Amino acid sequence: MNTGRLLAIVIAAVTVALIVVGTVWPVPSAIAMAGSGSNLLRPSSSPQAAVQNLANEIGRQDWEKAYSSLANKNEFTELEFVHDLTGSYPSLRTYATLDSYDLRPLHASADEAQVQLKLRWSTVVGAFLDTRDLRVVRTGDRWGVCWPIVKEPRVPPQVIPVTYLRWDVIYRGTEDDWGSQDVEAPHVRIVDMHPVDRSRGVVIMGELLNEDVVPAFVIVRATLLAKNGSAIATEGSFDKISHVLLPKQVTPFLIEFHDVALSGVDSVLMEPSASLIAASADPVIGIEDQHFNAAPGASLSGKLVNQSGQVVTVAHVLGTFYDKNGQLVWVADQYVDRALLPQTPVSFAMALPADIAGKVSSERAITTTYSSGRFQ
Amino acid sequence: MKSRFTFLLVGLVLAAMPFAVAQQTGGLRLPKTVEAGSAFSIQSTGSGKAVLYIVGTGQVLRRNVQLGETTFFAPADLHNAGHYLAALVEGSSTETGAFDVIAAHQPAALSFLAKPSRLAVDLHDGISGVVYVFDIFRNLILAPTQVSFQLSGVTRSVQMRTVLTHNGVAWTKMNSAAKEGVAQFVARVGDVASTRVIQQVPGNPCHLRMSARPSGQRLAVETEPVRDCSGNALSDGTIVTFTETYTGGESTVDVPLKRGVARTDMPAYSGARISVATGVFIGNEILWRKER
Amino acid sequence: MKRPLFIVCSLFAAIFALGSDPPAVRVEPTDSVGPRPLEKQTETAVIRDYLQAWRSLSGAFEQNRADLLDQDFTGAAKEKLADTIQEQVKLGIHTRYRDSAHDLRLVFYSPEELSVQLVDTVEYDMQILDGQKVQTTQHVRARYVAVLTPTEVRWKVRVFQAEPE
Repeated sequence: MNTGRLLAIVIAAVTVALIVVGTVWPVPSAIAMAGSGSNLLRPSSSPQAAVQNLANEIGRQDWEKAYSSLANKNEFTELEFVHDLTGSYPSLRTYATLDSYDLRPLHASADEAQVQLKLRWSTVVGAFLDTRDLRVVRTGDRWGVCWPIVKEPRVPPQVIPVTYLRWDVIYRGTEDDWGSQDVEAPHVRIVDMHPVDRSRGVVIMGELLNEDVVPAFVIVRATLLAKNGSAIATEGSFDKISHVLLPKQVTPFLIEFHDVALSGVDSVLMEPSASLIAASADPVIGIEDQHFNAAPGASLSGKLVNQSGQVVTVAHVLGTFYDKNGQLVWVADQYVDRALLPQTPVSFAMALPADIAGKVSSERAITTTYSSGRFQ
Repeated sequence: MKSRFTFLLVGLVLAAMPFAVAQQTGGLRLPKTVEAGSAFSIQSTGSGKAVLYIVGTGQVLRRNVQLGETTFFAPADLHNAGHYLAALVEGSSTETGAFDVIAAHQPAALSFLAKPSRLAVDLHDGISGVVYVFDIFRNLILAPTQVSFQLSGVTRSVQMRTVLTHNGVAWTKMNSAAKEGVAQFVARVGDVASTRVIQQVPGNPCHLRMSARPSGQRLAVETEPVRDCSGNALSDGTIVTFTETYTGGESTVDVPLKRGVARTDMPAYSGARISVATGVFIGNEILWRKER
Repeated sequence: MKRPLFIVCSLFAAIFALGSDPPAVRVEPTDSVGPRPLEKQTETAVIRDYLQAWRSLSGAFEQNRADLLDQDFTGAAKEKLADTIQEQVKLGIHTRYRDSAHDLRLVFYSPEELSVQLVDTVEYDMQILDGQKVQTTQHVRARYVAVLTPTEVRWKVRVFQAEPE
């Protein structure tokens, strides 16, 4: 038997063995993903087992089973429990799936325990963490979780007139003759640009201003040029920017180049581009109680307050950080996982690297929003 | 007998000669230039049948012609301006010539490029207009032609320029007005005109002032009407940023102008410093102290 | 006698069929182009795309394929050339254009960068074929006025017109 055939047989055998192991002894998060039913679950004979079973049921979105296993279900309804995890209004939570979870026992006695559960939810814009400190109590030979419900505030039914400006665009047709007028693209300008070396590569940060009187959909691309004029790499800002800019609005942007050193870069070609977009000046979001928290765990925290009438499905907060000379040192961002209800503050905290935090003297935050059922 | 035969032979040869000469050297008489769309004719010499080709990148024609006769071309048979090769083919012999078709002298269409369609007020030479002049057959009229440009808007003043085309194109630059509004930019050649709409919008803010007053537990901040340096009110929807800085924190709100002013509520912290800005223009600052 | 003549005709036809050397190109200084100054990059791109347009024209007229004009021509120029090709198809003829020299002068660059005008004194060999029979071959010198406008990736010829020299 030749070497190649032997290798193929060995690989096939190892693969089959691993599949068998994974099926017979699955890890807890795999059970949550597989949705394979109670026969793979351990009975809630310990605090950790009870929390694990609950997490698996949450991962499978088996709300009835999860709710019925709770020790304090008389304090709230099943619907309130579901809304705590998925949101009562469409938000990032509504469209998230449980990627994995970690649990950490904090304290235990004969009849009561404290377990910290970290649920890692996966969304199209990245992951977010939901940490709950759970009290687990023993009833007979069974342990049950007391769920720390977070009840979402309800906005009372009312009519809220919206009188902010809205823009629509009518473009020229393809049949229009050369020279026929078309709507002018918005004029945008980069007002600040700063390239820095980071461990992973080069980062280009900056700020972009819409100096026009119409809303703009903006993207920024940058090309690093070597000393001989050749292009090293080209990247875009992706979502580290507020793509819709209203007139005179300023957005930060951050562009990352991996595996490139700034010493090899002679110049940077910046290409902001802007196109017209239908947009609304509503909703207006206030960012209150902004506080810069120094290292360790450096972050900018605050509260978003929706001053308008419509519910915001997804809010994206972008933070711009400056040193004492007013120079841009970092751009950070965070997606808020809960819907922004009118006049209801929602907290956020966006992290920034520890080495940058020491340089920060001032900061500025902006939000960009998406509401389902509305164009913008 | 022999002389009779010789005479007959010479006679036959002489009779055949004109026929032989026409086949070998059928001539072409072509016009030097033809105005697009007008009738013209081509004369040939000789006798017999031939094929006339008129070929260029603009058009291709083929006619079966009778040598020695005039071939007429009706108006609009040849209407695209350009350089044409005429080839008269008879058997294995070919006569060629060339002529040009030029654009008709009467303008019939303009391609008018006016940019930008939206710009700030009070910009010197901010608007450019370029005109290409065409005849009815979409040929560029290369002969110098007078083009008039006129820009008129909300103010009574009218800017006018008259320019002669060069190689079929004329251009000009105009100033945007001091007052915002819609302007009409017209290019005219004879009876043919083309109009573009130019939107003149307020420039950068020149004056940004706000005031603050208590509103329940919060602070109501409001700007005065925001205007540019020519006194035009900034467009509704323009974002104004209010920033409140206080011990231990900061609050900001981006508020769009509505009916020329921006207003919002902010937390009321005694000792807070409130500032206002739009774009990169900064307005006044207020130091708020709660009255006891 | 007939044999050398046959050889010469075949050689000439072969040159046309197989293509010739790239044309000689001379570009006059662009210092006086106005009203907008012409950047070197734009000048290079315009000339490159204009010469490419001649190659497209040559292929389109020889093969009677108007679609070969799509890449380099637009607007009225494309329509007129396509109509000419249609006429050729109806008549059963095709033409070969082989440009051998261009003397280019850029004469206008519009302020809003939406058009460039050039004058080209071009020399080319033109062959008319009716069916498969070559009716005539002529060396032509003509002056063309062209207006090019920018599209997403190239400058395209929008006006293409010969004028009397």
